[in-house]
Amino acid sequence: MDVPLLSLLVIIPLIGAVITLFMGGERQKYAKFVALAFAAVTLVLALVVLFTKDFSTLDEYYGWIDTAAMKMGISFSVDGLSILMVFLTSLLVLLVIIFSSAESDRPNYFHTLVLAMEVGLMGVYLASDYFLFYIMWEITLIPMYFMISWYGGPRRHYAAIKFLIYTHVASLVMLIGIFAMGFEVASMLGGPVDFSFDVINDVMPMASETMQSLLFALLFFGFAVKMPAVPFHTWLPDAHTEAPTGGSVLLAGVMLKMGSYGIIRVCLEALPAGAEYWQWVIITIAVVSIIYGAFACIAQKDLKKMVAFSSISHMGMVMLGIGVLNEAGVTFAIFQMFAHGLITGILFMVAGMAGHNFGTREIPLLGGLAGKVPVYATFMMIGFMASLGLPGLVGFWGEFGVIFSFYEFIDANNMIWMIVFCLLSLMLTAGYYLWAMQRTLFGPETTKIDLSHVHDVSKTEFAAMAVLVACVAFFGVWPDAALNFIEPYAHGVASLFGVI
Amino acid sequence: MIPIEYFLALAAILFVIGGYGVMTKSNAIVVLMCIELMLNAANINFVVFAAFNQDITGQVFTIMSIAVAAAEVAVGIAILLNAYKMRKSTELDDEKLTSMRW
Amino acid sequence: MFIEYTWLIPLLPMLCFLIIGFVGQKTPQKGGYIAIAGAAISCILAVLISYEYLTGDAYPAAVTESIHWFTIPGGFEINVGYYVDGLTCMMMLFSSFISTLIFVYSLGYMGEQGERRKRYYAEVSLFLCGMLGLIVSSNFLVMFIFWEVMGLCSYLLIGFWSFRHDDGDEASANAASAAKKAFLVTRLGDVCLMAGLFILLGEFHNLDYASMFDPANIAAVDSDKITIAMLLCFGGVIGKSAQFPLHDWLPDAMAGPTTVSSLIHAATMVKAGVYLVARGYPLFVQDANVMLFVGIIGGVTAFIAATMALNNMNIKRVLAYSTISQLGYMILGLGAGGYLMALGIQHGDAALIAAGTAGMVAGCFHMMNHAFFKALLFMCSGSVIHACGTEDMRLMGGLRKHMPITSITMLLGSLSIAGFPLFSGFWSKDLVLDIALEAGDETVWFTVLWILAVITAFMTAFYMFRMWFMTFMGEERENAQHCHGESPKSMTMPLVVLSVFAVASGFLIMFGLDGIVGIEYTGAAFVVGGAETEGFEYFSELFTNPYTYLTIALALIGIGIAYLMYVKCSINPGKFNKNGESWLYKALSNRWWFPQLYNQISWKFGYGIARGVDYVDRQIIDGTVNGLSGAVVGGGSTVSKMQTGHVQDYSSIVLLGIAVLSVVFLVIAMITGGI
Repeated sequence: MDVPLLSLLVIIPLIGAVITLFMGGERQKYAKFVALAFAAVTLVLALVVLFTKDFSTLDEYYGWIDTAAMKMGISFSVDGLSILMVFLTSLLVLLVIIFSSAESDRPNYFHTLVLAMEVGLMGVYLASDYFLFYIMWEITLIPMYFMISWYGGPRRHYAAIKFLIYTHVASLVMLIGIFAMGFEVASMLGGPVDFSFDVINDVMPMASETMQSLLFALLFFGFAVKMPAVPFHTWLPDAHTEAPTGGSVLLAGVMLKMGSYGIIRVCLEALPAGAEYWQWVIITIAVVSIIYGAFACIAQKDLKKMVAFSSISHMGMVMLGIGVLNEAGVTFAIFQMFAHGLITGILFMVAGMAGHNFGTREIPLLGGLAGKVPVYATFMMIGFMASLGLPGLVGFWGEFGVIFSFYEFIDANNMIWMIVFCLLSLMLTAGYYLWAMQRTLFGPETTKIDLSHVHDVSKTEFAAMAVLVACVAFFGVWPDAALNFIEPYAHGVASLFGVI
Repeated sequence: MIPIEYFLALAAILFVIGGYGVMTKSNAIVVLMCIELMLNAANINFVVFAAFNQDITGQVFTIMSIAVAAAEVAVGIAILLNAYKMRKSTELDDEKLTSMRW
Repeated sequence: MFIEYTWLIPLLPMLCFLIIGFVGQKTPQKGGYIAIAGAAISCILAVLISYEYLTGDAYPAAVTESIHWFTIPGGFEINVGYYVDGLTCMMMLFSSFISTLIFVYSLGYMGEQGERRKRYYAEVSLFLCGMLGLIVSSNFLVMFIFWEVMGLCSYLLIGFWSFRHDDGDEASANAASAAKKAFLVTRLGDVCLMAGLFILLGEFHNLDYASMFDPANIAAVDSDKITIAMLLCFGGVIGKSAQFPLHDWLPDAMAGPTTVSSLIHAATMVKAGVYLVARGYPLFVQDANVMLFVGIIGGVTAFIAATMALNNMNIKRVLAYSTISQLGYMILGLGAGGYLMALGIQHGDAALIAAGTAGMVAGCFHMMNHAFFKALLFMCSGSVIHACGTEDMRLMGGLRKHMPITSITMLLGSLSIAGFPLFSGFWSKDLVLDIALEAGDETVWFTVLWILAVITAFMTAFYMFRMWFMTFMGEERENAQHCHGESPKSMTMPLVVLSVFAVASGFLIMFGLDGIVGIEYTGAAFVVGGAETEGFEYFSELFTNPYTYLTIALALIGIGIAYLMYVKCSINPGKFNKNGESWLYKALSNRWWFPQLYNQISWKFGYGIARGVDYVDRQIIDGTVNGLSGAVVGGGSTVSKMQTGHVQDYSSIVLLGIAVLSVVFLVIAMITGGI
């Protein structure tokens, strides 16, 4: 096809962001429609890409900096790893715009930030040049920072700056790693330092194991903070608690996936020997994240903070799949990324709505909401059930696949007892979700807050969540719809490692 | 031909006068003018070396430097005017201006 | 011609769930008729399929059809499909039939619930979908999915009154807590089951019954792995079928509507665990020790649950304990049979294998009979509660005159569960005892379990009749006096239909049921059904066995004691328990302190560690981060004092710096000889 689809995926939200930026004053109430239109067009394009048979025909390359010493290009490509993330990004952005249509505080800027974030996210997932990747990575930070510090809760400035510094430090470390890879490859090949994925990912696996392990550590740190993995996670609960609902959805739904995307795209593809060297460290961090996140959830009193910690636990599951370093593990790690993106959207919408509909997200203050707001309760229950891995919904297959591949791995290493950790986490997950539901939805109606003016889910909120629920059910019943994209890619990655 | 040392001496004298002014004068406008003197001393050096070495680069740089100086003065004056508007003072030692440090 | 449509059986209730969920409020009875129609059509379809299968050419080989669902990289195939054999037929017949009756009964029982009925009917339809799907699915993974769907539905239905309860806030808090407990406790079993499935999937590379039950495939697999896997799978059974030590959720689950209890206890949910053992028999019997464990759990459960029913005053709780106790019997029967079969396979002894087959028949047979009489008993108790407005038996009494149909049908159910001769419970229970005793020849464990089971039979007779007498006989107490009288037709009609089955279903064993559900091992394959049936030999066997008379006598004594205590009042129950002061009485009313134990574990282990983690998170990790940023900010503000605000100071420092640097460079240049 001659249309540069992938560039359009980045450019269209950018145009939208610029237009909404200048829709101040009287026109600001139309900003949401403009944003909606641009997000919808992006989603349509993403679907066109999704249904393209051969992704390689879509590759694009534009020269950017092409000197004798250094080569950086604006190049985009898409494959089984990124396509689901692209789809997820465009879908969630659209739903966030629909969901936040009631936003009345400077709505034009809000939509600018959302679309700007989409630019960065699309760029990260589509870039096939390390330098472009890094720039896009940084671009995502800025809208998120402003989203938290303009539209956030009472401690928003603290949370925003913590988020920015944490992730920025991590990405600087990552930048060092990227440069090191570029120079290492250049010294191996001779010629200019070329930052394209093709060159580096082809050549880097041939570098010495020491070099790979070292670079792996740098890059892995950068990505693990983003994911986030324990103990580098503390920015996440704060950022989520303070961010507006739409921001939280994007943050947890697609921004965290940048971390795991980076680990697979960079750490596994370019540094397989490093991955093998650090394998047990990855698995340990993953298991610790899973269990730690789950336990932390139990102790939380803020609904949104609980959901934030559950993200840590579930992203730990993704890392576990990656750490197994075989085809099944990588496949289901990617699937879990996708699944978590869909589910966590519902969860943060529900948790955020508690804040603006009831005036508080404190679990001890809520209670008996199911009688008062049945539709809200239904969505909350579906979200929680999907997240705790109810079979037939998408979350189950992610967990099932990851734990199964982990089982295969530990079985091969005669350490079958480690499965206990996974089972414990499943149990804990069910525990904190059910306990939270018991305290918020069921039991006597709360008298601690005024429920007389509480209204149920509005039409736009309903629409946004219903779409997500439909996706959760669809991919839960037919996981192959997503696995078909992932499997060829995962097969390629796994062939870099000894075990398949 | 005039020996190069004369030019260099002129530039050095200008530079020292400028430096002295920057360090001793308390009026901000004067300080700004002294900075211009120092810049011009540098410009003279550029031109002289360019002529002496038969290399045009120095002359080009002088033009660049003049442009930068102009911009810098514009910014400097703007800052000073604003400072004066708000603090009613252009005296650098004045507590009204030194209090802007942190 | 019908058998290809087996997949419709779970799909129809699923469809009903969706229809009721979306448009239920617009239909009469808020979706009640739709739910009934779905269940009834499933039931008819089940009849047609069973008839076609049992008379078809394929019988006794299982008819199975699978389509590929997805693949886990590494060559693990996941399929989805149906699997029909004798066990499937029996299960789906009684499940759908009893569910239909329960739905009909719900029309009356839930009639006053208004808009909530939509939610009720949608959820019970999904529940039925879960059970039927579990029964007809062709592999363990699909079965597990439906298994969990059922867990979800039980959560929703037990918590049906968890908000805006008619009886006030405390009742709704109770319901919410009970629902959570039910889900979490069964979830504990489910994760074990899931782990078991991981092991099986890892060894067999798929989870289809058809390939997993092939002895050739089983032989190719590491037997230790199968042992671990089956023990883990049995963990799932312990959770779902409320076996010791995870039995405690079931009594709490009485917080739901009585119809739901009836559905959970008779037709669905708890039967799933027993079904899993029966279905997985070929794998379970690979290791005799696994089956011994199964039997021990079953026997202990039967005994412990029966003791707790002895002094309970809540009519539904008594029935709940009796369910746990009866489930223990089923598991004991399956365990004992499996133990014999495992030994038989090990030693190649055909007689032992045949005995094992009889054990499996006993377990399944008891499951079916129990479904009938327990559905009946729960619905009767629902009828009583509906009329009296209380669940406390101390407030009832003398209801026989007000509710003739309910009292008679409940009497039939009680006789059946108590093992009164010729009633259905009698046949299957004695079969279970018989197998346990036979297994006792091989290991003393089963002899002990047999003794426990016999004592349980006595206790069962006692507490069931204690319940019946307290409810329907004697003087009319508080609530009985303003009882509404007999329940509406939609409620009594199912009672009558079920009582026929509760009385007569036991005779099915003499008309070939054992040949249909029993599993045969021929050395080349495990086959369910198609075996020779013993027919009326059971009758003669049973009545020539001296132990049968022992249990009959014990049952009669139990009934007699209950009569003396609660009708004649010639024995004062307070004499035995020191008026509720003896430690045993307290232990029983506190359910042997299991709820406290659970609470302690979940609080100490769950919340305690969680608090610790939260502390670490806030103080140590976040403390480090904030401390670091504090150090940077503090250092910065200290150094910033160097900024005096005097431009001249800055320029002097610059000049000084330039001077120093010039000197340094000069010195360096001189040292290196540059100049």
